[in-house]
Amino acid sequence: MADSSFRRLDVDQYDEDRVLPSDLYIPDSRPPATVLSDTQGKATAVRGLLQRGDVRGALGEVLVDAPYGEGVDDAKAIALQSILSILNSTKSTDIPAIVSDLNPQEQVTLMKYLYKAMENLGETSGNVVLGWHEKLVESAGTGCIVRVMTDRKRV
Amino acid sequence: MSEILSAVIGTPITAHAFNGDRTQLAISPNTNEVHIYAKSGAGWQLAHTLTEHDKLVTSIDWAPQTNRIVTCSHDRNAYVWNYVSDPETGAPTWLPTLVLLRLNRSATFVRWSPNEEKFAVASGARTIAVCQFDQESDWWVAKHIKKPLRTTVLSLDWHPNSVLLAAGSADGMARVFSAFMKGVDAKPTPTVWGERLPFNTVCGEFASPSGGWVHGVAFSPSGDALAFAGHDSTITVVYPSGPETAPHAVYPIQLPALPAVSLVFISENAFVAAGHDCQPVLFEGSIDQGWAQVRSLDDHEKREGAGAGRAAGGVGRLNNSEAFNRFRSADSRGVAGGAAAPAVAGTRLTATGTELLTLHQNTITSVRAFEGGLGGQEVSQVSTTGVDGRVVVWSTAGGVGGVTQGVGRLGL
Repeated sequence: MADSSFRRLDVDQYDEDRVLPSDLYIPDSRPPATVLSDTQGKATAVRGLLQRGDVRGALGEVLVDAPYGEGVDDAKAIALQSILSILNSTKSTDIPAIVSDLNPQEQVTLMKYLYKAMENLGETSGNVVLGWHEKLVESAGTGCIVRVMTDRKRV
Repeated sequence: MSEILSAVIGTPITAHAFNGDRTQLAISPNTNEVHIYAKSGAGWQLAHTLTEHDKLVTSIDWAPQTNRIVTCSHDRNAYVWNYVSDPETGAPTWLPTLVLLRLNRSATFVRWSPNEEKFAVASGARTIAVCQFDQESDWWVAKHIKKPLRTTVLSLDWHPNSVLLAAGSADGMARVFSAFMKGVDAKPTPTVWGERLPFNTVCGEFASPSGGWVHGVAFSPSGDALAFAGHDSTITVVYPSGPETAPHAVYPIQLPALPAVSLVFISENAFVAAGHDCQPVLFEGSIDQGWAQVRSLDDHEKREGAGAGRAAGGVGRLNNSEAFNRFRSADSRGVAGGAAAPAVAGTRLTATGTELLTLHQNTITSVRAFEGGLGGQEVSQVSTTGVDGRVVVWSTAGGVGGVTQGVGRLGL
Protein backbone atom coordinates (compact mmCIF):
# COMPACT_ATOMS: atom_id res chain seq x y z
CA MET A 1 0.00 0.00 0.00
CA ALA A 2 1.21 3.47 -0.82
CA ASP A 3 2.33 5.69 2.00
CA SER A 4 -0.61 7.85 2.99
CA SER A 5 0.97 9.75 5.88
CA PHE A 6 1.09 12.89 3.71
CA ARG A 7 -2.69 13.02 4.09
CA ARG A 8 -2.21 13.80 7.75
CA LEU A 9 -0.27 16.98 6.98
CA ASP A 10 -2.18 20.03 8.03
CA VAL A 11 -1.89 21.97 4.80
CA ASP A 12 -4.16 24.68 6.16
CA GLN A 13 -1.48 25.83 8.60
CA TYR A 14 0.24 27.64 5.74
CA ASP A 15 -2.91 29.53 4.89
CA GLU A 16 -3.02 32.94 6.53
CA ASP A 17 -6.75 33.25 6.05
CA ARG A 18 -7.68 29.82 7.41
CA VAL A 19 -10.83 29.20 9.38
CA LEU A 20 -10.24 28.22 12.99
CA PRO A 21 -12.74 26.09 14.92
CA SER A 22 -13.41 29.10 17.15
CA ASP A 23 -14.45 31.13 14.07
CA LEU A 24 -17.38 28.83 13.51
CA TYR A 25 -19.49 29.95 16.46
CA ILE A 26 -20.32 33.19 18.18
CA PRO A 27 -18.39 33.28 21.48
CA ASP A 28 -20.12 33.94 24.77
CA SER A 29 -20.35 37.68 25.38
CA ARG A 30 -19.80 37.23 29.13
CA PRO A 31 -16.22 37.14 30.45
CA PRO A 32 -15.15 33.72 31.85
CA ALA A 33 -15.27 34.99 35.48
CA THR A 34 -18.91 36.04 35.09
CA VAL A 35 -19.77 32.73 33.44
CA LEU A 36 -18.25 30.93 36.42
CA SER A 37 -20.08 32.98 39.05
CA ASP A 38 -23.35 32.69 37.07
CA THR A 39 -22.97 28.93 36.91
CA GLN A 40 -22.18 28.71 40.61
CA GLY A 41 -25.28 30.76 41.38
CA LYS A 42 -27.35 28.45 39.21
CA ALA A 43 -25.91 25.36 40.95
CA THR A 44 -27.09 26.76 44.29
CA ALA A 45 -30.51 27.56 42.85
CA VAL A 46 -30.78 24.05 41.39
CA ARG A 47 -30.08 22.50 44.82
CA GLY A 48 -32.85 24.60 46.31
CA LEU A 49 -35.33 23.76 43.56
CA LEU A 50 -34.56 20.05 43.75
CA GLN A 51 -35.20 20.06 47.49
CA ARG A 52 -38.65 21.41 46.75
CA GLY A 53 -39.03 18.75 44.03
CA ASP A 54 -39.23 21.27 41.17
CA VAL A 55 -37.31 19.34 38.48
CA ARG A 56 -38.68 21.36 35.57
CA GLY A 57 -37.64 24.61 37.25
CA ALA A 58 -34.17 23.25 38.02
CA LEU A 59 -33.68 22.12 34.41
CA GLY A 60 -34.84 25.50 33.13
CA GLU A 61 -32.25 27.12 35.37
CA VAL A 62 -29.22 25.18 34.02
CA LEU A 63 -30.33 24.91 30.39
CA VAL A 64 -30.46 28.67 29.86
CA ASP A 65 -27.13 30.47 29.30
CA ALA A 66 -25.19 27.25 29.71
CA PRO A 67 -21.40 27.80 29.64
CA TYR A 68 -19.84 26.96 26.26
CA GLY A 69 -16.68 27.67 24.31
CA GLU A 70 -13.12 27.92 25.52
CA GLY A 71 -11.68 28.95 28.89
CA VAL A 72 -14.69 28.08 31.01
CA ASP A 73 -13.85 24.48 31.93
CA ASP A 74 -14.59 25.00 35.64
CA ALA A 75 -18.04 26.40 34.90
CA LYS A 76 -18.71 23.52 32.49
CA ALA A 77 -17.83 20.99 35.20
CA ILE A 78 -20.14 22.66 37.71
CA ALA A 79 -23.00 22.81 35.20
CA LEU A 80 -22.54 19.12 34.38
CA GLN A 81 -22.71 18.26 38.09
CA SER A 82 -25.95 20.24 38.39
CA ILE A 83 -27.40 18.35 35.43
CA LEU A 84 -26.33 14.99 36.83
CA SER A 85 -27.96 15.75 40.16
CA ILE A 86 -31.19 16.61 38.32
CA LEU A 87 -31.04 13.48 36.16
CA ASN A 88 -30.50 11.29 39.23
CA SER A 89 -33.25 12.77 41.33
CA THR A 90 -36.05 12.46 38.76
CA LYS A 91 -38.56 9.61 38.77
CA SER A 92 -38.46 7.85 35.39
CA THR A 93 -42.24 8.24 35.01
CA ASP A 94 -41.91 12.03 35.22
CA ILE A 95 -39.35 12.31 32.41
CA PRO A 96 -41.69 12.32 29.35
CA ALA A 97 -43.75 15.24 30.68
CA ILE A 98 -40.65 17.21 31.62
CA VAL A 99 -38.83 16.82 28.28
CA SER A 100 -41.87 17.67 26.20
CA ASP A 101 -42.37 20.83 28.26
CA LEU A 102 -38.89 22.14 27.32
CA ASN A 103 -38.59 24.55 24.41
CA PRO A 104 -36.56 23.38 21.37
CA GLN A 105 -33.47 25.29 22.45
CA GLU A 106 -33.57 23.77 25.93
CA GLN A 107 -34.08 20.33 24.40
CA VAL A 108 -30.91 20.72 22.32
CA THR A 109 -28.92 21.90 25.34
CA LEU A 110 -30.24 19.00 27.43
CA MET A 111 -29.25 16.59 24.65
CA LYS A 112 -25.73 18.07 24.70
CA TYR A 113 -25.51 17.44 28.43
CA LEU A 114 -26.84 13.90 28.06
CA TYR A 115 -24.02 13.07 25.65
CA LYS A 116 -21.54 14.78 27.92
CA ALA A 117 -22.93 12.83 30.88
CA MET A 118 -22.41 9.58 28.97
CA GLU A 119 -18.75 10.55 28.59
CA ASN A 120 -18.33 11.46 32.28
CA LEU A 121 -20.70 9.14 34.09
CA GLY A 122 -19.03 9.25 37.50
CA GLU A 123 -21.41 7.83 40.08
CA THR A 124 -24.40 8.05 37.76
CA SER A 125 -25.82 4.89 36.28
CA GLY A 126 -25.76 4.74 32.49
CA ASN A 127 -29.33 3.50 32.59
CA VAL A 128 -30.52 6.84 33.94
CA VAL A 129 -28.93 8.81 31.13
CA LEU A 130 -30.16 6.38 28.48
CA GLY A 131 -33.68 6.64 29.89
CA TRP A 132 -33.60 10.42 29.53
CA HIS A 133 -32.09 10.12 26.05
CA GLU A 134 -34.86 7.79 24.89
CA LYS A 135 -37.63 10.07 26.12
CA LEU A 136 -35.96 13.17 24.73
CA VAL A 137 -35.59 11.62 21.26
CA GLU A 138 -39.23 10.56 21.32
CA SER A 139 -40.19 14.13 22.03
CA ALA A 140 -37.68 16.14 20.00
CA GLY A 141 -36.90 13.71 17.17
CA THR A 142 -33.62 12.72 15.56
CA GLY A 143 -33.24 16.33 14.44
CA CYS A 144 -32.29 17.19 18.01
CA ILE A 145 -29.35 14.75 17.89
CA VAL A 146 -28.25 16.17 14.54
CA ARG A 147 -28.26 19.68 16.01
CA VAL A 148 -26.07 18.54 18.91
CA MET A 149 -23.60 16.92 16.53
CA THR A 150 -23.36 20.02 14.33
CA ASP A 151 -23.24 22.65 17.02
CA ARG A 152 -19.77 23.96 17.80
CA LYS A 153 -20.99 25.56 21.01
CA ARG A 154 -19.86 22.60 23.10
CA VAL A 155 -21.05 22.61 26.69
CA MET B 1 -49.98 12.39 -7.63
CA SER B 2 -46.40 11.29 -7.78
CA GLU B 3 -44.85 9.87 -10.89
CA ILE B 4 -41.66 7.89 -10.99
CA LEU B 5 -39.96 8.80 -14.18
CA SER B 6 -37.20 6.35 -13.79
CA ALA B 7 -35.50 3.88 -11.58
CA VAL B 8 -31.90 3.35 -12.58
CA ILE B 9 -31.01 1.09 -9.71
CA GLY B 10 -27.43 1.26 -8.56
CA THR B 11 -26.70 4.66 -10.05
CA PRO B 12 -26.88 7.48 -7.55
CA ILE B 13 -27.98 10.71 -9.20
CA THR B 14 -25.81 13.62 -8.10
CA ALA B 15 -27.68 16.37 -9.92
CA HIS B 16 -30.47 16.77 -12.43
CA ALA B 17 -32.04 19.37 -14.71
CA PHE B 18 -34.97 19.25 -17.10
CA ASN B 19 -35.13 21.24 -20.33
CA GLY B 20 -37.66 24.02 -20.86
CA ASP B 21 -40.61 21.89 -22.03
CA ARG B 22 -39.69 19.00 -19.69
CA THR B 23 -39.22 16.48 -22.48
CA GLN B 24 -35.53 15.97 -21.80
CA LEU B 25 -33.62 15.31 -18.63
CA ALA B 26 -29.92 15.75 -17.89
CA ILE B 27 -28.48 13.83 -14.96
CA SER B 28 -25.08 13.27 -13.45
CA PRO B 29 -25.00 9.53 -12.65
CA ASN B 30 -22.31 10.10 -10.01
CA THR B 31 -19.57 9.97 -12.64
CA ASN B 32 -17.68 12.38 -14.88
CA GLU B 33 -20.39 12.06 -17.53
CA VAL B 34 -23.68 13.81 -18.07
CA HIS B 35 -26.49 11.68 -19.48
CA ILE B 36 -29.33 13.29 -21.39
CA TYR B 37 -32.53 11.30 -21.60
CA ALA B 38 -35.34 12.12 -24.01
CA LYS B 39 -38.97 11.26 -23.44
CA SER B 40 -40.16 8.68 -25.94
CA GLY B 41 -43.60 7.26 -25.49
CA ALA B 42 -43.97 6.01 -21.95
CA GLY B 43 -40.28 5.72 -21.18
CA TRP B 44 -37.12 7.74 -21.29
CA GLN B 45 -34.29 6.87 -23.68
CA LEU B 46 -30.65 7.84 -23.36
CA ALA B 47 -30.13 10.34 -26.16
CA HIS B 48 -26.74 11.92 -25.50
CA THR B 49 -23.74 11.48 -23.27
CA LEU B 50 -21.59 14.52 -22.52
CA THR B 51 -18.05 13.46 -21.73
CA GLU B 52 -15.87 16.55 -21.48
CA HIS B 53 -15.35 16.53 -17.70
CA ASP B 54 -12.80 14.22 -16.18
CA LYS B 55 -14.05 14.15 -12.59
CA LEU B 56 -17.43 13.89 -10.90
CA VAL B 57 -20.02 16.26 -12.34
CA THR B 58 -21.41 18.02 -9.28
CA SER B 59 -24.15 20.20 -10.71
CA ILE B 60 -26.17 20.75 -13.88
CA ASP B 61 -28.47 23.56 -14.95
CA TRP B 62 -30.50 23.83 -18.14
CA ALA B 63 -31.55 27.29 -19.33
CA PRO B 64 -35.16 26.91 -20.49
CA GLN B 65 -35.27 29.75 -23.04
CA THR B 66 -31.83 29.62 -24.64
CA ASN B 67 -31.63 25.80 -24.36
CA ARG B 68 -28.08 25.84 -23.03
CA ILE B 69 -26.75 23.43 -20.43
CA VAL B 70 -24.09 24.39 -17.94
CA THR B 71 -22.25 21.73 -15.98
CA CYS B 72 -19.54 21.95 -13.34
CA SER B 73 -17.30 19.33 -11.84
CA HIS B 74 -14.69 18.38 -9.31
CA ASP B 75 -12.16 18.84 -12.14
CA ARG B 76 -12.43 22.62 -11.40
CA ASN B 77 -14.05 23.29 -14.76
CA ALA B 78 -17.43 24.26 -16.06
CA TYR B 79 -18.74 23.91 -19.61
CA VAL B 80 -21.61 25.52 -21.40
CA TRP B 81 -23.20 23.10 -23.88
CA ASN B 82 -24.98 24.25 -27.02
CA TYR B 83 -27.12 22.01 -29.21
CA VAL B 84 -25.65 22.69 -32.65
CA SER B 85 -24.77 20.75 -35.75
CA ASP B 86 -21.50 18.93 -35.58
CA PRO B 87 -18.93 20.70 -37.79
CA GLU B 88 -17.79 17.35 -39.24
CA THR B 89 -20.94 15.29 -39.67
CA GLY B 90 -23.61 17.96 -39.64
CA ALA B 91 -25.73 15.98 -37.20
CA PRO B 92 -27.09 17.96 -34.24
CA THR B 93 -25.06 17.38 -31.13
CA TRP B 94 -24.13 18.98 -27.81
CA LEU B 95 -20.84 20.88 -28.09
CA PRO B 96 -19.03 22.35 -25.08
CA THR B 97 -17.83 25.94 -24.78
CA LEU B 98 -14.93 26.67 -22.49
CA VAL B 99 -15.46 28.59 -19.27
CA LEU B 100 -12.44 30.31 -17.74
CA LEU B 101 -13.30 29.71 -14.11
CA ARG B 102 -9.78 30.23 -12.68
CA LEU B 103 -10.57 28.06 -9.66
CA ASN B 104 -7.98 25.99 -7.77
CA ARG B 105 -10.53 23.75 -6.04
CA SER B 106 -13.49 21.77 -7.23
CA ALA B 107 -16.62 23.47 -8.52
CA THR B 108 -19.59 22.44 -6.41
CA PHE B 109 -22.73 24.08 -7.73
CA VAL B 110 -23.90 25.98 -10.80
CA ARG B 111 -27.03 27.94 -11.69
CA TRP B 112 -28.10 30.10 -14.64
CA SER B 113 -29.36 33.56 -13.77
CA PRO B 114 -33.10 33.91 -14.54
CA ASN B 115 -32.34 36.08 -17.60
CA GLU B 116 -29.95 33.34 -18.80
CA GLU B 117 -27.16 35.78 -19.62
CA LYS B 118 -24.94 34.85 -16.67
CA PHE B 119 -24.34 31.89 -14.47
CA ALA B 120 -22.65 31.46 -11.12
CA VAL B 121 -20.36 28.62 -10.06
CA ALA B 122 -19.76 27.87 -6.39
CA SER B 123 -16.53 26.22 -5.41
CA GLY B 124 -14.26 24.82 -2.74
CA ALA B 125 -11.84 27.66 -3.47
CA ARG B 126 -13.90 29.99 -1.20
CA THR B 127 -15.01 31.72 -4.33
CA ILE B 128 -18.10 32.16 -6.41
CA ALA B 129 -17.31 32.63 -10.10
CA VAL B 130 -19.92 34.73 -11.86
CA CYS B 131 -19.58 34.12 -15.58
CA GLN B 132 -20.57 36.07 -18.67
CA PHE B 133 -20.03 35.37 -22.36
CA ASP B 134 -17.10 37.06 -24.09
CA GLN B 135 -18.12 37.41 -27.74
CA GLU B 136 -14.64 38.25 -29.02
CA SER B 137 -12.90 35.18 -27.66
CA ASP B 138 -15.92 32.85 -27.86
CA TRP B 139 -15.65 31.70 -24.28
CA TRP B 140 -17.14 32.47 -20.89
CA VAL B 141 -15.16 34.63 -18.49
CA ALA B 142 -15.55 34.72 -14.72
CA LYS B 143 -15.49 37.46 -12.15
CA HIS B 144 -14.90 36.26 -8.60
CA ILE B 145 -16.89 36.96 -5.45
CA LYS B 146 -14.36 36.29 -2.68
CA LYS B 147 -15.02 38.37 0.40
CA PRO B 148 -15.99 37.44 3.06
CA LEU B 149 -16.10 33.77 1.99
CA ARG B 150 -13.67 31.63 3.94
CA THR B 151 -15.07 28.15 3.35
CA THR B 152 -16.46 26.01 0.56
CA VAL B 153 -19.60 27.40 -1.04
CA LEU B 154 -22.14 24.59 -1.31
CA SER B 155 -25.22 26.10 -2.88
CA LEU B 156 -26.48 29.10 -4.84
CA ASP B 157 -29.74 30.66 -5.88
CA TRP B 158 -30.47 33.69 -8.05
CA HIS B 159 -32.82 36.49 -7.15
CA PRO B 160 -35.46 37.00 -9.89
CA ASN B 161 -33.74 40.27 -10.87
CA SER B 162 -30.64 38.31 -11.99
CA VAL B 163 -28.40 40.62 -9.97
CA LEU B 164 -28.56 39.30 -6.42
CA LEU B 165 -27.14 35.90 -5.63
CA ALA B 166 -27.64 33.85 -2.46
CA ALA B 167 -24.88 31.48 -1.37
CA GLY B 168 -24.75 28.90 1.40
CA SER B 169 -21.36 27.81 2.68
CA ALA B 170 -19.67 25.34 4.98
CA ASP B 171 -19.12 27.83 7.80
CA GLY B 172 -22.85 27.73 8.49
CA MET B 173 -23.61 31.05 6.86
CA ALA B 174 -26.00 32.01 4.09
CA ARG B 175 -25.11 35.25 2.35
CA VAL B 176 -26.67 37.40 -0.30
CA PHE B 177 -24.27 39.06 -2.73
CA SER B 178 -24.60 41.44 -5.60
CA ALA B 179 -23.43 39.87 -8.85
CA PHE B 180 -23.99 43.05 -10.82
CA MET B 181 -21.98 43.10 -14.06
CA LYS B 182 -21.33 46.38 -15.75
CA GLY B 183 -22.32 46.24 -19.39
CA VAL B 184 -24.41 43.10 -18.95
CA ASP B 185 -26.98 44.10 -16.37
CA ALA B 186 -29.24 47.10 -16.38
CA LYS B 187 -29.31 48.99 -13.09
CA PRO B 188 -31.65 46.94 -10.87
CA THR B 189 -34.65 48.50 -9.20
CA PRO B 190 -34.16 48.87 -5.44
CA THR B 191 -35.29 45.90 -3.38
CA VAL B 192 -35.39 45.06 0.32
CA TRP B 193 -31.83 43.87 -0.14
CA GLY B 194 -30.49 47.33 -0.99
CA GLU B 195 -30.30 50.08 -3.57
CA ARG B 196 -26.69 50.61 -4.63
CA LEU B 197 -25.30 47.25 -5.59
CA PRO B 198 -21.77 47.20 -7.01
CA PHE B 199 -20.30 43.73 -7.62
CA ASN B 200 -19.53 41.72 -4.44
CA THR B 201 -21.66 43.89 -2.14
CA VAL B 202 -22.76 41.75 0.81
CA CYS B 203 -26.48 42.45 1.14
CA GLY B 204 -27.19 40.02 3.94
CA GLU B 205 -25.41 37.52 6.13
CA PHE B 206 -27.30 34.97 8.22
CA ALA B 207 -26.04 32.11 10.39
CA SER B 208 -27.75 28.76 10.77
CA PRO B 209 -28.93 28.48 14.39
CA SER B 210 -26.77 25.54 15.44
CA GLY B 211 -23.92 26.24 13.07
CA GLY B 212 -24.71 23.58 10.48
CA TRP B 213 -23.14 24.07 7.07
CA VAL B 214 -25.68 25.42 4.63
CA HIS B 215 -26.70 22.80 2.04
CA GLY B 216 -29.38 24.69 0.20
CA VAL B 217 -30.55 28.26 -0.33
CA ALA B 218 -33.62 29.60 -2.11
CA PHE B 219 -35.19 32.97 -2.79
CA SER B 220 -38.95 33.27 -2.65
CA PRO B 221 -40.62 34.04 -6.02
CA SER B 222 -40.64 37.79 -5.25
CA GLY B 223 -37.05 37.63 -4.02
CA ASP B 224 -38.02 39.38 -0.80
CA ALA B 225 -37.46 36.34 1.42
CA LEU B 226 -34.62 33.87 1.68
CA ALA B 227 -34.78 30.32 3.01
CA PHE B 228 -31.78 28.13 3.73
CA ALA B 229 -31.38 24.57 4.96
CA GLY B 230 -28.52 23.70 7.28
CA HIS B 231 -26.97 20.44 8.34
CA ASP B 232 -28.24 21.15 11.86
CA SER B 233 -31.69 19.92 10.71
CA THR B 234 -32.92 23.47 10.63
CA ILE B 235 -34.43 25.53 7.84
CA THR B 236 -34.34 29.28 8.38
CA VAL B 237 -36.57 31.77 6.58
CA VAL B 238 -35.34 35.37 6.61
CA TYR B 239 -37.24 38.54 5.71
CA PRO B 240 -34.79 41.42 5.33
CA SER B 241 -35.88 44.96 5.99
CA GLY B 242 -33.15 46.90 4.23
CA PRO B 243 -29.40 47.38 4.07
CA GLU B 244 -27.49 47.78 7.36
CA THR B 245 -30.58 47.05 9.44
CA ALA B 246 -31.64 43.95 11.32
CA PRO B 247 -33.94 41.68 9.32
CA HIS B 248 -37.66 42.21 9.66
CA ALA B 249 -38.14 38.61 10.77
CA VAL B 250 -36.08 35.43 11.07
CA TYR B 251 -37.94 32.13 11.43
CA PRO B 252 -35.84 29.07 12.23
CA ILE B 253 -37.79 25.85 11.68
CA GLN B 254 -36.30 22.98 13.65
CA LEU B 255 -36.96 19.75 11.83
CA PRO B 256 -37.75 16.66 13.90
CA ALA B 257 -35.93 14.45 11.39
CA LEU B 258 -32.69 14.36 9.41
CA PRO B 259 -31.43 17.49 7.61
CA ALA B 260 -32.76 18.75 4.30
CA VAL B 261 -30.20 19.46 1.58
CA SER B 262 -32.24 21.16 -1.12
CA LEU B 263 -35.28 23.37 -1.19
CA VAL B 264 -37.45 25.26 -3.67
CA PHE B 265 -40.20 27.81 -3.14
CA ILE B 266 -43.51 26.91 -4.78
CA SER B 267 -45.22 30.18 -3.90
CA GLU B 268 -44.59 33.20 -1.70
CA ASN B 269 -45.99 31.27 1.27
CA ALA B 270 -44.80 27.72 0.72
CA PHE B 271 -41.66 25.76 -0.10
CA VAL B 272 -40.67 22.14 -0.50
CA ALA B 273 -37.50 20.81 1.12
CA ALA B 274 -35.92 17.38 0.82
CA GLY B 275 -32.73 15.65 1.84
CA HIS B 276 -31.46 12.98 4.16
CA ASP B 277 -34.97 12.14 5.31
CA CYS B 278 -35.70 10.69 1.83
CA GLN B 279 -39.01 12.49 1.37
CA PRO B 280 -40.00 15.93 0.11
CA VAL B 281 -41.72 17.92 2.84
CA LEU B 282 -44.00 20.92 2.37
CA PHE B 283 -43.61 24.01 4.59
CA GLU B 284 -45.99 26.92 4.78
CA GLY B 285 -45.86 30.31 6.44
CA SER B 286 -45.68 34.03 5.94
CA ILE B 287 -43.86 37.11 7.16
CA ASP B 288 -46.37 37.64 9.99
CA GLN B 289 -47.32 34.13 11.02
CA GLY B 290 -43.96 32.42 10.93
CA TRP B 291 -43.22 29.12 9.23
CA ALA B 292 -43.96 25.50 10.02
CA GLN B 293 -43.74 22.05 8.51
CA VAL B 294 -47.09 21.02 7.03
CA ARG B 295 -46.86 17.54 5.57
CA SER B 296 -44.78 15.17 3.51
CA LEU B 297 -45.53 15.00 -0.21
CA ASP B 298 -44.71 11.30 0.07
CA ASP B 299 -47.86 9.88 1.58
CA HIS B 300 -47.18 6.18 1.93
CA GLU B 301 -50.68 5.27 3.11
CA LYS B 302 -52.39 6.88 0.16
CA ARG B 303 -49.91 5.45 -2.29
CA GLU B 304 -50.24 1.88 -1.11
CA GLY B 305 -53.71 1.97 0.33
CA ALA B 306 -52.81 0.27 3.61
CA GLY B 307 -50.10 -0.15 6.19
CA ALA B 308 -48.92 2.16 8.88
CA GLY B 309 -47.04 4.97 7.18
CA ARG B 310 -44.58 7.00 9.06
CA ALA B 311 -45.58 10.53 9.88
CA ALA B 312 -43.89 13.33 8.01
CA GLY B 313 -40.41 13.72 9.39
CA GLY B 314 -41.15 11.05 11.94
CA VAL B 315 -40.47 11.88 15.52
CA GLY B 316 -39.23 8.88 17.41
CA ARG B 317 -37.70 7.21 14.44
CA LEU B 318 -35.12 5.65 16.75
CA ASN B 319 -37.87 4.00 18.70
CA ASN B 320 -37.98 0.27 18.20
CA SER B 321 -34.78 0.44 16.20
CA GLU B 322 -33.39 -2.51 14.38
CA ALA B 323 -30.11 -2.49 16.25
CA PHE B 324 -31.94 -2.39 19.56
CA ASN B 325 -34.20 -5.28 18.58
CA ARG B 326 -31.31 -7.28 17.31
CA PHE B 327 -29.46 -6.93 20.59
CA ARG B 328 -32.58 -7.67 22.55
CA SER B 329 -33.36 -10.85 20.66
CA ALA B 330 -29.74 -11.93 20.94
CA ASP B 331 -29.90 -11.28 24.65
CA SER B 332 -33.23 -12.86 25.51
CA ARG B 333 -33.47 -15.68 23.00
CA GLY B 334 -29.89 -16.25 22.00
CA VAL B 335 -30.73 -15.48 18.37
CA ALA B 336 -27.68 -14.09 16.66
CA GLY B 337 -28.99 -13.54 13.15
CA GLY B 338 -30.94 -10.50 12.06
CA ALA B 339 -33.77 -12.54 10.56
CA ALA B 340 -35.80 -12.54 13.74
CA ALA B 341 -35.67 -8.78 14.12
CA PRO B 342 -38.88 -7.03 13.15
CA ALA B 343 -38.74 -4.16 10.69
CA VAL B 344 -37.67 -0.75 11.96
CA ALA B 345 -40.33 1.92 12.26
CA GLY B 346 -40.68 3.48 8.81
CA THR B 347 -39.30 0.45 6.97
CA ARG B 348 -40.51 -2.95 5.91
CA LEU B 349 -38.77 -6.23 5.37
CA THR B 350 -38.45 -7.62 1.88
CA ALA B 351 -36.78 -10.73 0.53
CA THR B 352 -33.50 -8.89 0.08
CA GLY B 353 -33.44 -6.66 3.15
CA THR B 354 -35.28 -3.70 4.52
CA GLU B 355 -36.99 -1.11 2.41
CA LEU B 356 -38.00 2.39 3.42
CA LEU B 357 -41.68 3.20 3.20
CA THR B 358 -40.82 6.37 1.34
CA LEU B 359 -40.60 6.34 -2.46
CA HIS B 360 -36.98 7.43 -2.41
CA GLN B 361 -34.86 4.76 -0.79
CA ASN B 362 -31.94 7.08 -0.01
CA THR B 363 -31.00 10.71 0.39
CA ILE B 364 -32.63 13.12 -2.03
CA THR B 365 -29.87 15.14 -3.66
CA SER B 366 -31.92 17.86 -5.28
CA VAL B 367 -35.45 19.16 -5.54
CA ARG B 368 -36.40 21.52 -8.37
CA ALA B 369 -39.48 23.17 -9.82
CA PHE B 370 -41.01 21.04 -12.59
CA GLU B 371 -44.33 22.61 -13.52
CA GLY B 372 -45.47 26.22 -13.10
CA GLY B 373 -43.54 28.97 -11.37
CA LEU B 374 -43.65 31.43 -14.26
CA GLY B 375 -45.35 34.81 -14.05
CA GLY B 376 -46.40 34.61 -10.41
CA GLN B 377 -47.98 31.20 -10.90
CA GLU B 378 -47.60 28.57 -8.18
CA VAL B 379 -45.24 25.69 -8.78
CA SER B 380 -47.65 22.76 -9.08
CA GLN B 381 -45.07 20.00 -9.50
CA VAL B 382 -41.52 19.50 -8.26
CA SER B 383 -38.96 16.92 -9.32
CA THR B 384 -36.53 15.12 -7.02
CA THR B 385 -33.54 12.88 -7.62
CA GLY B 386 -31.77 10.79 -5.07
CA VAL B 387 -28.84 8.60 -4.21
CA ASP B 388 -31.18 5.68 -4.89
CA GLY B 389 -31.15 6.56 -8.60
CA ARG B 390 -34.79 7.53 -8.78
CA VAL B 391 -36.25 10.57 -10.49
CA VAL B 392 -39.67 11.43 -9.10
CA VAL B 393 -42.15 14.16 -9.99
CA TRP B 394 -44.44 15.21 -7.15
CA SER B 395 -47.59 17.26 -7.16
CA THR B 396 -47.53 20.00 -4.53
CA ALA B 397 -51.31 20.43 -4.44
CA GLY B 398 -53.57 18.75 -1.89
CA GLY B 399 -54.29 15.05 -2.05
CA VAL B 400 -50.69 14.34 -2.78
CA GLY B 401 -48.88 11.06 -2.87
CA GLY B 402 -51.64 9.16 -4.63
CA VAL B 403 -51.24 6.25 -6.95
CA THR B 404 -47.88 5.82 -8.56
CA GLN B 405 -48.31 6.45 -12.22
CA GLY B 406 -46.49 5.67 -15.39
CA VAL B 407 -43.52 3.82 -14.03
CA GLY B 408 -41.18 4.07 -16.98
CA ARG B 409 -37.62 2.91 -16.88
CA LEU B 410 -34.73 4.79 -18.32
CA GLY B 411 -33.42 2.81 -21.25
CA LEU B 412 -29.77 2.19 -20.54
